[in-house]
Amino acid sequence: MVAVDADYFRDLETPRLAHLSRNLVAAAFPLMKLMPARYILDRAAADGELKAGAHIVETTSGTFGMAVALLAAARGYRLTLVTASTLIDARYKARLERIGASVIALDDPRGDGNQPGRLECLHDILAREPDGFWTRQYDSPGNWLAYARLAELLIRAMGRIDCLVGCIGTGGSLCGTAWFLRTIFPHLTVFAVDTHHSILFGQPVGKRMLRGLGNSVLPKNVRHELVDEIHWVGAYPAYMAAHRLLRDHGIFMGPTSGAAALVAQWVATKHPDAQVAAIMPDEGHRHIETVYNDDWLSSLPGWPCAQVSEPNTLSIIAPRAETQWTRFVWNRRSLAEVLETQAAVKAQTSD
Amino acid sequence: MAIDGDLAIRDGSQPLAGTATAIAHHGELIQGVFQGDDGHLQRGLVTLPIAGLKSVATFVLGVDKGIIVHPDHKVKAAAAARLTLDLLSVSGGGDLTLHSSIPVGHGYGSSTADVVASIRAVAAALKALLRPSSVGRLAVAAERASDAIAYDDHAVLFAQREGAVIENFGGSLPPLLLVGFKANGGAPVDTLQLSPARYDSFEIQQFGVLRALVARAVRFQDPYLLGRAASASALISQRHLPKQGFNEVVQIAEEAGACGVQVAHSGSLFGVIFDLSETDLRRKAGLVAQRAESAGFTDVEFHLVNGEGWQW
Repeated sequence: MVAVDADYFRDLETPRLAHLSRNLVAAAFPLMKLMPARYILDRAAADGELKAGAHIVETTSGTFGMAVALLAAARGYRLTLVTASTLIDARYKARLERIGASVIALDDPRGDGNQPGRLECLHDILAREPDGFWTRQYDSPGNWLAYARLAELLIRAMGRIDCLVGCIGTGGSLCGTAWFLRTIFPHLTVFAVDTHHSILFGQPVGKRMLRGLGNSVLPKNVRHELVDEIHWVGAYPAYMAAHRLLRDHGIFMGPTSGAAALVAQWVATKHPDAQVAAIMPDEGHRHIETVYNDDWLSSLPGWPCAQVSEPNTLSIIAPRAETQWTRFVWNRRSLAEVLETQAAVKAQTSD
Repeated sequence: MAIDGDLAIRDGSQPLAGTATAIAHHGELIQGVFQGDDGHLQRGLVTLPIAGLKSVATFVLGVDKGIIVHPDHKVKAAAAARLTLDLLSVSGGGDLTLHSSIPVGHGYGSSTADVVASIRAVAAALKALLRPSSVGRLAVAAERASDAIAYDDHAVLFAQREGAVIENFGGSLPPLLLVGFKANGGAPVDTLQLSPARYDSFEIQQFGVLRALVARAVRFQDPYLLGRAASASALISQRHLPKQGFNEVVQIAEEAGACGVQVAHSGSLFGVIFDLSETDLRRKAGLVAQRAESAGFTDVEFHLVNGEGWQW
């Protein structure tokens, strides 16, 4: 019997599970953000917070925006996405608009994404619209609660899970999956994957070359106390890892997924007796003109760089070049605690 | 199958009679709310069957419409017999007699065992074979909420209020040894007085994870994963129907190297779960029994789940 899901989006959000090596299973999502977007909308509709035909708003230019746009179109909600001109390309904007989303791209004179301006714009809309609904992917608990489904899928496929590797942007997928898995497997080791110049794990803010990974603001859904180890992967090793996923496994993913696969393969090799699960959040289509385009790649300074097969372990958290991959042993500490210890280490080394 | 005519007087000789049994359970491995195929949430549970305790029902078809049940307070069993006769289009009644070794009020499922044994006895008397799904539905119709004992040792996620299977795990539970005992001084819980637990979003999401664990545990016959699922469900249950000494039991189980702790979610039972193929099992289980007793828990007993002739 073929079971047809009552909700097609449930199927669309379901990752394919790929055995990348004997002890490594990676969840390859077509569009991971459908999972939290659908959960948040479903819950809000059930609670009466989101009324039929309501106006949904969010500040995103990323895949969460695409996920909400698909759901809003299919379910008859209006949608306004507020982004910055520096963060969205014309093609992605056109894709969003084609399915009915209004996209407001604000000026971004400082080049940092203009989050304060975006929030102001969003609050203006909410103040005008009595049936406005803000999905709040940065701090809605729905963003991480939704990933119980991923924990379920991984458990059905793998049984006991010892290590979890995943990217951090809003914190929803990694922290949510880690939370649910660790209530069952307290020994679970969590490896977070970030990129240079992202502030999430104590680096100074800067321009990130690897789009879709890390953040320049700190979302509430990032829970540092769940993380055992943090890895910062530069754009180049992430691109190369994405290329290898396609060549070696036939898996066509974006560069953030490449970064996750790179770290996960290292973890799986270092811990041959551990069952390792990895989360790969999006497909490669959005990167056809860049990461999968040799002309674009050859325009990068220093491309191709040497293969990086291992991270450098840092004692002082600092950004490195885009060709580098670094790691730091976080030990389930809070951000404040790590920053305090870092200040002490820096003071010591400067003595 | 169909039997024509008035069965009781057919041939005018021996009255039609049937005897059947139903086993008890030791509460649930997991219990909570789960998403059905249509996306809606349903209350559901996975029963932990123990074959050592059972209810035996005998039904003799009579000419009169009424059903006379012995002992006469087992009215739900009588109702179940009536419903079964109605399903099989028999207008007559009969005598229903129950003998049960299952203690009442602790979460062993004494009531459902009576009901299921009665349904099966009526069906046996009429030489009808009922599918577990039909028996389960009749049981729920007779007693409002039921457990999955109609499926015996076959593991299913059962909607105890609808009498429907939410997920069929496709096999039996792996062989287990259970060290069972009673909390709260061994006082019984009146299940009909319990209001249904209200779960929060986190718990509801977590139940999906526990369901996945049970599915995996059944598929690969993995007692460790089953123990993880049971322990997590027991911890959630503790927020809704707290049992005295819960933390102590968890500690005893951990120190003995057990797979986990299971509870009767609407009763007073605790069960410490062991893999039946575990090395040094007798000593470990004996230690748990001893420590439970000295901690003041009552009625410490050993139960086999799918023991298949395993001997101490």
